[in-house]
Amino acid sequence: MHKLWIVIRREFQERVRSRWFIVSTILVPLLMGLVIVVPIVLAARAVPSNDVARITIIDVSGTGLGKSVAFALDGGITGDTSLTRVTAVPVAELAAAESSATREVLAKREKGYLVLGPALWPKPAVRYAGSNASSPIDMNRLQRTVRDQLIATRLREAGMDPKQVESLTGLDVQMHTERLTARGRGGSGEVSTIIAFFVAFVLYITIFFYGQIVLRGVMEEKQTRVAETVVSSVRPDTLLFGKILGVGGVAGLQLLISGVATAVLVMERGPLLARLHVPMPAFEMPHVAPATALLLVVYFLLGYVVYAALFAAIGSMVSSEQDAQQVQLPIALLLVLTATFIQPVILAPEGRMADVLSILPFSSPIIMPLRLSLVSVSAWRVVVSLAVLLGGAWLAVWLAARVYRTGLLMYGKRPSLRELVRWVRASG
Amino acid sequence: MNFAVEIDHVVKKFTQHVAVRDLSLRIPPGTVYGLLGPNGAGKTTTIRMVLDIIAPDSGQIRVLGAANNAPGVIDRVGYLPEERGLYRRMTVRRVLHFLAALKRVPSAAATQRINDWLERLQLVTQERDWGDARVEELSRGMQQKVQFIGALVHEPQMVILDEPFSALDPINAQALKDIILELKRAGRTIVFSTHLMESAERLCDAVCIIAAGAKLVDGTLAEVRRAHGLRQVALSLDGDEGAREGVQRVLHDASLVQRVDDSNQVLELDLAPAADPQLLLRRLIDAGAVVQRFELVQPSLHRVFVDRVSAAQLEHAEATHA
Repeated sequence: MHKLWIVIRREFQERVRSRWFIVSTILVPLLMGLVIVVPIVLAARAVPSNDVARITIIDVSGTGLGKSVAFALDGGITGDTSLTRVTAVPVAELAAAESSATREVLAKREKGYLVLGPALWPKPAVRYAGSNASSPIDMNRLQRTVRDQLIATRLREAGMDPKQVESLTGLDVQMHTERLTARGRGGSGEVSTIIAFFVAFVLYITIFFYGQIVLRGVMEEKQTRVAETVVSSVRPDTLLFGKILGVGGVAGLQLLISGVATAVLVMERGPLLARLHVPMPAFEMPHVAPATALLLVVYFLLGYVVYAALFAAIGSMVSSEQDAQQVQLPIALLLVLTATFIQPVILAPEGRMADVLSILPFSSPIIMPLRLSLVSVSAWRVVVSLAVLLGGAWLAVWLAARVYRTGLLMYGKRPSLRELVRWVRASG
Repeated sequence: MNFAVEIDHVVKKFTQHVAVRDLSLRIPPGTVYGLLGPNGAGKTTTIRMVLDIIAPDSGQIRVLGAANNAPGVIDRVGYLPEERGLYRRMTVRRVLHFLAALKRVPSAAATQRINDWLERLQLVTQERDWGDARVEELSRGMQQKVQFIGALVHEPQMVILDEPFSALDPINAQALKDIILELKRAGRTIVFSTHLMESAERLCDAVCIIAAGAKLVDGTLAEVRRAHGLRQVALSLDGDEGAREGVQRVLHDASLVQRVDDSNQVLELDLAPAADPQLLLRRLIDAGAVVQRFELVQPSLHRVFVDRVSAAQLEHAEATHA
C-alpha cells in the first residue's frame, strides 16, 4: 500500500506541476465562460423584434401605468396604438385576465402579456409571460419601457424635484419572465437538455483525454526503460494501479476546478453580465439532486477506470507511436461510437436503445449520466447498470494487469492476438 | 553460511525458447560476483528472476537469506538495468527521491544522501546544480551517473548491475569501478553480468559462466581457471634463423604442445595433457632456442570463456540436430 501511494503521488504531482496542467486548468473555465457570456453579449447587440409591442398589458396597479407603457411601446404619438391591448382589472380578476391572455398567446395572436402591479413602490411587481421570454433583447426593451414610464409616473406625482429625479432614476425594475409553451410554464426543459448534453460530452472528452494520458505514460515508461528500474522496487500491478489512480486524481482535480468555476460563473452571471451592460438572460438552472450528482461522479470514475486500464494495456504492448495508433483503434472506436449515440439518446431517453446502451459497460459511463440528467431512471435500472459497469471495470483491470506485466519488458514487435491470449493466460 | 543469492533448479521458458534451464548457483556475501555469458545466454532473465520482476516456471530463489518475494527483501537490493532510462521530464532530485521512496528511505535521509551523491559524482559543481535540472537536459553520461545513484541511494546490502560497463564512457566506467570496490570494502555483495571478460577478470572474486540458459562452470576466479584443466606456457625466444626449424619441430610435437597462438612478441602454448613442461623447456634448448621467457601461466578468463562457450554451443547445435 505504501508503494502504491508513492507511485500515485508521483503521477499526480508531476502532472499537476506541469505547465500543461496549469494552462488547461485556467483555459477550460475561461472557455466555458466565453461559451456562456459571448452569445448573450452578441444577442444583446442584435436588433429587437419589431412586434414586442404586440402584447396584452394587464394593469392591476390602478395607476394608469399600463396606458403609458402601451403608449411608449407603440411608439408614442405617431405610433400604432392598435398593437398593445391594455386591460385595467382589479386584483381579484387577475387570474381570469391572465388565462384569457394565455389563450391569446398560445393561439399566436399575441406575443405575451405583461402584468403590472398590484404594488409598484418601493418594489414594483412586474411580470411578463410570452413566447419571446428567452429573447434578452425583447425583454430588455420591455423592462426599460416599464422602468421609464414608472419613473415618469412617480415624477408626475412628486412634482419634479431635481433631487427626487436623481433618486428615482436609480430605480431597478426586476422583471420576472417565464417561457410559455404548450407543455406548460417553466423554461427548464431546454436548459436541462443542454446540460445533459454538456455532461455527456464532458465525460466523453475527459475519459478519452485522460485515457490517452495513461497510454502515453505507460509508453514513456516502457520506451525510456525506466519501467525496468521501477519494477525492481514495486510489482507491475502496483505500478499500473498507481498510474491509473494518479492520473485519475489529476482528472478529478481538473473536473472539480472546472466544475466549481463553471458553477460560480453560472450563479454569478447576473453581476458579471451587468458589468458588461448586458441584461441577464431569462433561464433557471435546473435543480440537480445530490444523489444524481453522486451517481455522475461514480459513473465517471468507473468509466475512466475501464478505459484507462485498457489504454494502459495497449501502452504496454507497443514500442512505437505508429503501433500505438493502430492498436488503440478498437478501444478508441468504442468510445467514439458511444459519443455518436448521445444525440439519439437525447431524443429518446427512455427508449430501448438508451436502455441497452446504459447497461453495456463501454457506453454506460456516458449514456447513463446523460439519461439521469434528462429524465428519472428507475432505481433497478441504475443498480443493474452499475453492477455491470463494476464488473466491467474489474475485468478490464484484471486483463490489463496481465498484459501489462508481460508487455512492459517486451521490446520490439508488437504481439499478435494469439500471443496476447498467451500473456493473459500466463500465471507468472 | 548464508548466501547472498541461492538459485536452485530454476527453469524459465518463453514462448519461443527456453531462457534458463535448471540453473543452480550460490553467490557468497561480500563478494564481487560476475555472471558471464554470451548475448542471449539468459543473464538478464536470471537477474530479473532474482529481483522477482518475473517468476520462474519452477525452482526456488532466495535472496539475502529469505525467499525473494518475501516482503521487504527486494528493498535491500539495488538494481541497475542494462537498458537505462529515467523519467525525462522530472528533475534529477525528484526522480531520485521517488526511487528512494520506493525503497522506503525516509524523505529526510534521502535528501541528505542524494546531495552527498550528487556532489561526489560532480553533478553539483560551483557553476551549476544539475540536481534541479530536468533529466532530459542532462548528457547521457550524466544520466548514467544519476542512474547509479538511483540504484545505491537506499544503501542496499546487495547491488545487481546488468551489463554495467556497456555504453559507459571511460570516466564513468572508472567511477563505477571505484564505487563497486568501495561497496565491497563495506561488506556489500555486488553481482554484475557482462560479456566483457577483461572487466570481469579485474573485478570479480568469483564468476559463473552460463550459455544457452545453463551453467557451464562457476567458482572463484582461481577455481574456474584450475578447473579448466588447461596449462599454458608463455614463451619468448631470441636467436638466429638457423635455430627456427628445430624449434618449430618441438613446438609442433603433439605429445608436448596442443596449440600455438603466436602473438608476435609472445607465443602462447597450450600444453598437451600429461605433457611435462620441464621436458618441453629442455627440448627447446636442445633445439638451439635462446629462451628469454618461459612461464607457466593459468589461462585467461577470456580463454576459459571462449573454450567453454564454444564447446557448449557445439554440443547444443548437435543436440538440436539430433
